[in-house]
Amino acid sequence: MSDGIESRPLMVLRLATAATQEIGPTSQGTLMIFPVIGGSFDGERLRGTVLSGGGDWVTAHGNGSFTLDLRVTLETDDGALIHMTFTGVRDDANHYFRTVPRFETAAPKYAFLNRLLAVGIGEIRPEGPVHVIEEIL
Amino acid sequence: MNTRLLMTLHVKVGTLLNIGPVPHGIRRTAPLAGGTFEGPRLRGTIVPDSSADWQLLRSDGVLEMDLRFTLRTDDGALISMSAFGLRHGPPEVIAAIGRGETVDPASYYFRTMPRFETAHPAYSFLNRLIAVASGDRRPEGPIYTIHEVL
Repeated sequence: MSDGIESRPLMVLRLATAATQEIGPTSQGTLMIFPVIGGSFDGERLRGTVLSGGGDWVTAHGNGSFTLDLRVTLETDDGALIHMTFTGVRDDANHYFRTVPRFETAAPKYAFLNRLLAVGIGEIRPEGPVHVIEEIL
Repeated sequence: MNTRLLMTLHVKVGTLLNIGPVPHGIRRTAPLAGGTFEGPRLRGTIVPDSSADWQLLRSDGVLEMDLRFTLRTDDGALISMSAFGLRHGPPEVIAAIGRGETVDPASYYFRTMPRFETAHPAYSFLNRLIAVASGDRRPEGPIYTIHEVL
């Protein structure tokens, strides 16, 4: 078995979000919802737009760490719909923002997405969150 | 992507429970009989009674794994580990694994994404990391090499 974990670029995902919905303290922490109203994704094997109607359910744990729970729909430039979810961790104290995306699609051309695991490196930019997603080989 | 070794987990599988065909595929549960883990920052054993791998063989031939393990470190901390995983490969390789043969782990895809939860301060770093595991299915059970995603 190879000792390290190898990966290759899958896509860069840019999300456009609407005003945050502050749900407030819950049994798990302080819940905020970031509605996703659009965006884009771009990679060697797929590209397209993020459809409105998704969101990221973010729970703040009070020690500078957050857990993320996102679901969005991607539409490729050739018309395929891809259901994408991720869970993730954001720890501002350690500048750590990583996600674990999963994909589901019925489009044969993109069926490879159903069979892969991936890791995203996230970043909050002024224009919105950006996730650089790598396929785990 | 930068990673570093977190631990190597040797799992001993118990008697498989074949649930059979369910609406989304063929379901099987693999209770764990035990195991060990060892890495630069933690080591210990798998607690058998609360650890299992809930598997679903999908119609596209991909095996989905839903692992829930309880780890006990050598200094007594309990760590809850869960992982989602995928296993698939050429039919002859998957068939050989099914017959209990040892095959080259590079000949099929077997990856999981573990997450950890612990209340123990010495291991709280585990609560805040994402990890990737590479699996190697041996006749007695899988070996997972788990890397922290940096």
